[in-house]
Amino acid sequence: MMMEQAVKRQLRRSRDNGGGRAVAVDRRICFLTVSTAAFAVLTASLSAQTLDSLAIRFSGMTAITGYEQAVTDSLLSLLPGSTRDRLGNVTLTLGRGTPRRLVYCALDEVGYVIGNITDDGYLLLRRVGGGQRLSPLFDQQIEGQRVTLFGRKGAVPGVVAVRSTHLTRGRPAREEPPFTVDNAYVDVGASSRDEVLALGISILTPVSLTKRPHRYGDRLLAAPNAGRRAACAALASAALSRPRVRGSVVVAFTVQSLYADTAGLRTVLSTQGPFAGARPVTVPSKFAETTVETVALKDVEALVADVMRWIGGGQ
Amino acid sequence: MRALEGWTVGMLDGWRVGMVLLFLSNLPTFQLSAQDSSRISEAQTVLAQLVESYGVSGMEAPVRATVQRLLPSWVRTETDTAGNLWVRTGGGQGDGPVVIVAHLDEIGFRVDTINADGTLGLRNRGGFILSLFEGKPALIHADRADIPGIFLPRDTGLTRRTPPPLRVSVGATSRAGAESLGVKLGQTITMPKQYVRLAGTRATGRSFDDRMGCAALILALRRLDRTKLKHPVVFLFSTREEIGLEGAEAAARQLGTATHRVHAIDTFVSADSPLELQNFAVARLGQGAVARALDNSSITPPAYVDSLAELARARGIALQIGTTNGGNDGSTFVPYGVVDVPLGWPLRYSHSPVEIVDLKDLVSLADLVRAVAEDW
Repeated sequence: MMMEQAVKRQLRRSRDNGGGRAVAVDRRICFLTVSTAAFAVLTASLSAQTLDSLAIRFSGMTAITGYEQAVTDSLLSLLPGSTRDRLGNVTLTLGRGTPRRLVYCALDEVGYVIGNITDDGYLLLRRVGGGQRLSPLFDQQIEGQRVTLFGRKGAVPGVVAVRSTHLTRGRPAREEPPFTVDNAYVDVGASSRDEVLALGISILTPVSLTKRPHRYGDRLLAAPNAGRRAACAALASAALSRPRVRGSVVVAFTVQSLYADTAGLRTVLSTQGPFAGARPVTVPSKFAETTVETVALKDVEALVADVMRWIGGGQ
Repeated sequence: MRALEGWTVGMLDGWRVGMVLLFLSNLPTFQLSAQDSSRISEAQTVLAQLVESYGVSGMEAPVRATVQRLLPSWVRTETDTAGNLWVRTGGGQGDGPVVIVAHLDEIGFRVDTINADGTLGLRNRGGFILSLFEGKPALIHADRADIPGIFLPRDTGLTRRTPPPLRVSVGATSRAGAESLGVKLGQTITMPKQYVRLAGTRATGRSFDDRMGCAALILALRRLDRTKLKHPVVFLFSTREEIGLEGAEAAARQLGTATHRVHAIDTFVSADSPLELQNFAVARLGQGAVARALDNSSITPPAYVDSLAELARARGIALQIGTTNGGNDGSTFVPYGVVDVPLGWPLRYSHSPVEIVDLKDLVSLADLVRAVAEDW
């Protein structure tokens, strides 16, 4: 429902502007507009499916705290009229006048960057974000798994080394402590430091588990940070639908929630406030901080409706 | 190779996925590098299809079908009651066959119980590090379509590396709910897997052990000069290796003392890794096939190792010689007085979701398999 309305409005707007504006702003938006509109004619149940697609897509993206640019680039494309501040927060103002309120979701996640490169082409990691409250099993999730390195020449696939089962000779012992990032060697198939550098990888290149959003059961979605991403997908859907607005509402996708005392949100508050009210957008999830953090897409759908009501002035 | 002691957004149709894909580009699952030789690209094409087929021990049918599809058109295959796939070549010389065997199966789990709360209790098929599957996506392999689920993360508190026995959730909250999704006892479970090309000629995925061996047999058969065979040669694709060399054992019993020689074509688990001890098993990736002269199940007589090295030299094939851990299918023939000369390739991170190989080693191994069939 929401997407179709947004599409119709976008079509109207582009007609009002001589039909060229959407294309000039962003060809991808134009394509989305046209294909979504065509699709809406074919399928009555589009909105739930489109929201599911958006939640899955957001869950497949990586936004390591402080290194969120790829995701915020996508949001700027997705949300016409949105802007990005110096820290990287993406905001969009709906409506006008008072009361001025804020609705926001946090985009960022705990992740890793390259800390060092060995002579024989392995990459060592440091964690970004997390701190004392992080599960002691958090790092173990990357051991023996696919990772993606977001290098200067594009995404590079790699793996985190693990001991061969056949050579463990009785290890790991039953009471062995968990794997930590201190023992993470990333293997991209290179045999030397020069080969690594030629791939566009260097110190500070962001590294994350390769995201493979996984649907199961009755509209359940499993992915790292699925809760945060699905919440942001719900907020984007609500904003795209251009709902009825009471006063003005700033829609914010915040960065660096895991650093400097929620630096991103505080920046929005201090540069765009004061606000008469603020609402964080969150969705319940199971298995938080794991690779299979799970949200029910039905909950996400309900959240969109609830956020739209809030934007319109309802509780 | 036996150890002694994984994207299902597929529910969305292409159009909708394509629509959202506009916002982000995806990594290709694998790509041919512009510099690849025709040998490397052929090796990759064969290997990728084998790696992306699922076949936990005892449920190898999808892999067997992929092998049959990739064999050259002149090949006639037979499947025995153990599920082994046989390709007989060069028959009629009155001599016992040389057997060249690679296994079809991979490690994984089997559904052992469907609990009242809808979760599934598992039994391991083969040996591996359990924590690598904890809290990861799961696929339950059913007759029609695979059923997606997750390997449940441990409940709380336990901060050691090794998890308690793993369970799988398919999102159901009762036994009837799980069964209504198509779950049955005895089905196999794995993690979704992909073949992914890395830098240079390296690649990663799960079940290179022993799809590399299967690929080597297929590539050798495609180039085999059948007029040169000194003996009948049986190319055997065996079942249930990871749970006790069971398929090969049935074939060994059938062929008995008539077998001229056996080559298990299986993983050389390599210590070419920053995490391994360096006292043995150090065969470098990219430096060619490996004679697995001593492992936990068989010993190649030294004279055979020397003769093999001479053959490889004569045909210009890169060969490393070494010793590693694990057992191999050829060892089931040894009690019949048959010499086992296992051949492999160096594998990093064995039995993990991210095994790494070098495609150059597959080309070298395929050439060596062809050589031992034609000239030895």
